Amino acid sequence: MSKLIPETGYKATFNKISAAILLIDIDAPLYTILDVNDAYLIATNSTREALVGKSVFGAFPANPSDEEAENIRMTIFSFEEAIRTKMPHTMSDYRYDIPIRGTDEFEERYWTTSNTPVLDENENVSYLIHSPANVTELIKLREKEIASVEALKNHRQQLYSTFMQAPVGIAIFRGPEFVVDLINPTLCEIYGRTVEEMLAKPIFDVLVHIRGQGFDQLLEQVRLTGSPFKGQGYPASLLRDGKLETVYFDFVYEPYREIDGTISGVIAVATEVTEQVTAKQLVEEAEERARLAVDAVGLGTYDLNLETGEMITTKIFANIFGFDAPVPRADYVSVFHPDDIKLRNMAHAEAVVSGQLFYESRVIWPDKSVHWARVEGKVYYDAASKPMRILGTLLDITAQKQAKEEQQKLMALVADSEQLLRNITTAAPTGLWMSDEQGDITYVNQTWIDWTGLCYEENLANGWLNSIIPEDRKRAGEKFLEDLANKNLYEVEFRINHIDGTKHWCVATGRPQYRNNGTFSGYIGSCVDITEQKNLQQQKDDFIGIASHELKTPVTSIKAYTQVLERMLLKKGETKEAGMISRMDGQLNRLTSLIGDLLDVTKINSGKLQFNDRDFEFNDLVKELVEDLQRTTEKHKLIEKFFPTGVVFGDKERIGQVITNLITNAIKYSPHADKIIIHTGVKNNEVSLCIEDFGIGIEEDKLNKVFEQFYRVSGDMQHTFPGLGLGLYISSEIIKREGGRIWVTSKHGEGSTFCFALPLKTKTKALRSDYIG
Amino acid sequence: MIADDDPGILDAVCIMLEFEGYNVYCTPDGAEILNMNSKLPDLLLLDIWMSGIDGRDICKQLKQNPTTNKLPVVLISASRDIEGSALAAGADDFLAKPFDIDDLLNKIERNLVN
Repeated sequence: MSKLIPETGYKATFNKISAAILLIDIDAPLYTILDVNDAYLIATNSTREALVGKSVFGAFPANPSDEEAENIRMTIFSFEEAIRTKMPHTMSDYRYDIPIRGTDEFEERYWTTSNTPVLDENENVSYLIHSPANVTELIKLREKEIASVEALKNHRQQLYSTFMQAPVGIAIFRGPEFVVDLINPTLCEIYGRTVEEMLAKPIFDVLVHIRGQGFDQLLEQVRLTGSPFKGQGYPASLLRDGKLETVYFDFVYEPYREIDGTISGVIAVATEVTEQVTAKQLVEEAEERARLAVDAVGLGTYDLNLETGEMITTKIFANIFGFDAPVPRADYVSVFHPDDIKLRNMAHAEAVVSGQLFYESRVIWPDKSVHWARVEGKVYYDAASKPMRILGTLLDITAQKQAKEEQQKLMALVADSEQLLRNITTAAPTGLWMSDEQGDITYVNQTWIDWTGLCYEENLANGWLNSIIPEDRKRAGEKFLEDLANKNLYEVEFRINHIDGTKHWCVATGRPQYRNNGTFSGYIGSCVDITEQKNLQQQKDDFIGIASHELKTPVTSIKAYTQVLERMLLKKGETKEAGMISRMDGQLNRLTSLIGDLLDVTKINSGKLQFNDRDFEFNDLVKELVEDLQRTTEKHKLIEKFFPTGVVFGDKERIGQVITNLITNAIKYSPHADKIIIHTGVKNNEVSLCIEDFGIGIEEDKLNKVFEQFYRVSGDMQHTFPGLGLGLYISSEIIKREGGRIWVTSKHGEGSTFCFALPLKTKTKALRSDYIG
Repeated sequence: MIADDDPGILDAVCIMLEFEGYNVYCTPDGAEILNMNSKLPDLLLLDIWMSGIDGRDICKQLKQNPTTNKLPVVLISASRDIEGSALAAGADDFLAKPFDIDDLLNKIERNLVN
């Protein structure tokens, strides 16, 4: 306490200064506290008594937090420096915690303290003004600032990382050259370059090929005007894998502003949308193709908005309504044919319910011509099931409608002519029928129905057979199937149960029918009631049968008398008379033969010709007959040219009758020839016999008539060759009934060859088993 | 023995066979044949169509009777189908009217020998 601050005024000022001040003596190492002001006491939570007169290091011992007593050394150094240099010395930002009075706790404090030397008159240091400033708040603030900066650094790092990994391309281009300041790998990938290749270089120096594609002007524009630019689906040609490819982008160019607001570059953000654009193009192409297809088939299409009544139509739609180009909906409605408006309105009303629109209506074109249109459509509803739109098509069906009308007219004509035909066929006194290619009856006329009492349907298929009496049914049916199988002309006689209760004879004939392309289509035929003829024929046959039988009886007795007489005359040696009687016997033989023929024909016609079929050696029969017949002629030599024939199954007598007939004819019709050749043989499972003569022959146009009943040689020679004209008819009937065939070849004036052939085995043909029950 | 209801034929055949030296019995009544008792002929010529009786029936009855079934029967008819009828009736032979005398004599001789 060697020095005092005397003046009260100064003292008061000292105490009122806001800065904390301690006056310290330079009595090292004590550095005794000379005085202290109020601000200091407040700042250090101390009292004047605890400090004044005490060493500063005694009053403020080392802090528990300051284990190395760094503060004390630092303070001593500062005191010594101020004393030595006689200049103020400052200790910055050190920590010195202040004890909290009444507790053992300390409060964390940071200080910046200046030690200012006060000089006396001799320029020697008198004492030090020790003034600590509490910088705790400042220090805390600084710590927070550092933490903030650190956080900011982290944030920037994250941003950068995001930027680098972003799936969109991002870049910052700086300056008028658009130097790449920053670019992320995504954009580099889009450009087909590496980050290193791009960075710090003008973008258009690296991507030379995109210069002139418009991007340079866009960047320049954004840089100069500061207004951003957005591009969608922008095409660009880029080099990828050495090839120029067209790719598409969505991108944004934003101006890059410095803090002062000036624009130093452009931020570019871009995504490639090539796939989306391509997909969209494909859809558009598909739509275009669909539209072309619709146009190609002449379909008009429309899109009707049911809320607004607005309708979008195609040109073809307009054309079908008679307009050159699409017109508003009301105009279309105005050209509907008045008679069809109601129908069209109903169709629309139904469509709203059913979801489908369909109607056909006439429209009247400006030239007054009437056209048919078919409208189809589908109704689309909103979520509340309210009909919103109708989409659909329109087709010009005028041609179809006209064709249909033509067809209907034709059908009417056909129906008329069919009715006419039906009337005619009904009026005919003949049964008429038709069958298909299987032989099923498809039509019978009213006449037939009236005869049989079977209704139309009952006659169809094989139903017609039921009208035939049981005895004739099988034969009629089988004959039909046989002729059907060979597509032959069908002809058969049968009896039907007539509705009048009696049996009627009918002759049915059918002619095979062929379609335009030549395929067989079935039969058209008729049925004629021949009961009357049959009755007459029966009477005739009965008469001839009885007559010929009755004739035979006297002939038999005459013949017997004649022969006895001949023998008696011969015995008496009356040869001349006996010869006459012999010739008489010859004439009786002719008479017998004629009577026999008449009887045979009668039997053939009435189907009563009987056959006693058995096996016999064919050549033996021929030989026997040839020998007999050789005796009847001296003029002709009967020459046998036989080949082995084997056994035939048939009626020996009847076949013999045929052979006799043929040889007799040959003799009869070759009066100027001297030989007749008889051939036999086997060929194709048939035994054949041919009688070759060298007589008058047959004219070609008569060849197929010789086997007919009552056919005779006509003209000049009629009386030269008498006869009934029955022999060949009987022969051919016998051969046919034995399952064989008979034929003739001839040259007029040179001779004829009559042949027949008989089957070695009985042939059976498979017929429709379902037809005849 | 000859049975035929036509007198002309019966007469002519009888004359013919007598002329040829046969001992002939002629009758127009077929039923008479069935009444033959002890004396049987050597051969029977039998007409089929006779008034009142059918020659085939007579033939059948003769052939069924053990005392007459050995008697040769030759059926005669104007019908051309006589062969079938004759076989059905069990006749030994047949002859169609009108016939040649030679045929008749052949058949008689053949059946007499048998």
